[in-house]
Amino acid sequence: MKAELSARRQVFLYGLMCVLLIPFVFPTWWMVTSSVKPISDIFAFPPHLVPQNYDWTTYRKVFELQPFVRQYWNSAYIAALVTIGTMIVSSMAGYAFARIRFPFANTIFMIVLLGLLIPAEVTIVPLFQMFLKAGMVNTHWPLILVPIFGAPSVFATFIMRQFFVTLPTELEEAARVDGLGRFTIFRKIALPLAKPALASVAIFTFLHSWNLFLEPIVFLSSADKFTLPQALTQYTDAYGGPMWNIQLAAATLTALPVLMVFIIAQKHFVEGLAHTGLKG
Amino acid sequence: MAEVTLSKVRKSYGAVDIIHGVDLDISDGEFVVLVGPSGCGKSTLLRMIAGLEIITGGDIRIGGRVVNDLDPKDRDIAMVFQNYALYPHMTVGTNMGFSLEHRGASKAQIAERVNWAADILGLSHLLERYPRQLSGGQRQRVAMGRAIVRDPQVFLFDEPLSNLDAKLRVVMRGEIKTLHQKLKTTTIYVTHDQVEAMTMADKIVVLNGGRVEQIGAPLDLYDQPANRFVAGFIGSPAMNFLDGTITSEGFIAPGIVLPLPEAAHGFHGRKAVYGIRPEHFTLHDSGVPAEIVLVEPMGSETQVTMKLGETQVIGVFRERVALLSGATIRVRPDLASLHLFSNNGGQRLI
Repeated sequence: MKAELSARRQVFLYGLMCVLLIPFVFPTWWMVTSSVKPISDIFAFPPHLVPQNYDWTTYRKVFELQPFVRQYWNSAYIAALVTIGTMIVSSMAGYAFARIRFPFANTIFMIVLLGLLIPAEVTIVPLFQMFLKAGMVNTHWPLILVPIFGAPSVFATFIMRQFFVTLPTELEEAARVDGLGRFTIFRKIALPLAKPALASVAIFTFLHSWNLFLEPIVFLSSADKFTLPQALTQYTDAYGGPMWNIQLAAATLTALPVLMVFIIAQKHFVEGLAHTGLKG
Repeated sequence: MAEVTLSKVRKSYGAVDIIHGVDLDISDGEFVVLVGPSGCGKSTLLRMIAGLEIITGGDIRIGGRVVNDLDPKDRDIAMVFQNYALYPHMTVGTNMGFSLEHRGASKAQIAERVNWAADILGLSHLLERYPRQLSGGQRQRVAMGRAIVRDPQVFLFDEPLSNLDAKLRVVMRGEIKTLHQKLKTTTIYVTHDQVEAMTMADKIVVLNGGRVEQIGAPLDLYDQPANRFVAGFIGSPAMNFLDGTITSEGFIAPGIVLPLPEAAHGFHGRKAVYGIRPEHFTLHDSGVPAEIVLVEPMGSETQVTMKLGETQVIGVFRERVALLSGATIRVRPDLASLHLFSNNGGQRLI
């Protein structure tokens, strides 16, 4: 009876998971398959889940119509710098908020967290003015500096703080007796133990930077400086209409690193979330 | 090795005083146990000696040097924590050699010291393992290894055995004592377990409410407790106490008159507390009547809960007492081992 219940339960759970998969898997499938369809086939009715005709030239055109390699590099190095910068800033800030007793620490932390509530659209104009005065418009600096010291870093600081709060204080006291100073304790004891939290911060930050759209379209104006999300909007015909198959080919290439990062690091991602007490 | 001196050491959190001016002299190579109930301030005092807590007043000297404002690393002490506090991401060997590495010792020196400590503690085969791969006892030994590897002037132990099961605790107790005899390093050990204190210490410091109640050798505290608190805290099962009045006929407690020694004659008419340890009762036909409440045979001895008049007490007898609840036996207190305490403040009268 129990075994029967368990089997039925499993069938139900698998069924439910299959249904839940549809909204996640179908768009990806549609993107990949449409990237090799002639444009007329994309709008065929009834739609074809599997391409009837293959047009591989779309991938060649992705590189012909835009400096796509350059744009790929822009996205990659910006995301890498933002990720490294955010890991450094958020781990140090998170550690300070969790472990160093300084006046108004909790109040300051709350104020910092409030930064998460302000939408990027609200601050984009003042930020533009600021970077304009600093001569940084149409450079990559805004795309690097804003996330490292802005909302993504605040969220990362929150994750890191929640992790460091759970580290036993006795570990640090043992390190103090062993002769370590505050920064060495952070570097040699706290940080190596924070790997799961750091991994989730790295994934979050990388994805955020890779997908960043609003800031590039505000701050960048030359094609060779574009990042990928912005570059995708440039695959249009002479009348401004989207060239769907080429755009979807570029989108497929754009999504590849994200999928790879997530597949490789999903264990850390889940562990990191578990440590923060948050659920994905 | 070094002597440790505490002079009028105080600790307050805001307006709340936690440690009320403790004076303590610990000789070079001595094994001193700080013991007391939860919240008595023993761990705080140890952490103040370690430099992990700032002191509010007084002086702490280690090896004649005032260390009040020194960081833990500059006090030349090593500490073993209750939860071991081993670095989870380092192997046993790295854990043990970490402080030496940080202090700039050469690889050869570190290896030599770590191997020496591992030999003493039987850890040589575990040096490549991580703390998570060790049992509780092994972790405790690694924590001790980390402490001894540096050859500090003073060892500080903060309830190091409280996470171990009863059997392992007895084994580790012996190992710590043996280690001390081997190294002869001044040791300050905190515990709430009076059996640990009695079996390990050269000198016991009994703390209560942030004050020192008594300092002395284990058996001195057992035989001559300075007050009712120490008398009740040291010894297991605990000392029995009966409230009553000292008279020429004896000690009049509710429902019974108990015999008194000659020395009590000077206190006639005074209200007091009659203190007698469970093992200081003997079965005797001319003794006072006691109604049995519960008999617990332990094999080597029998523990009997009984009523002396209206007060329930515990007696421990070498004889086997095969009687049921409600029966009456006659017991005689050993007058030479009797304690009388003031009923006001609990100070020892005789």
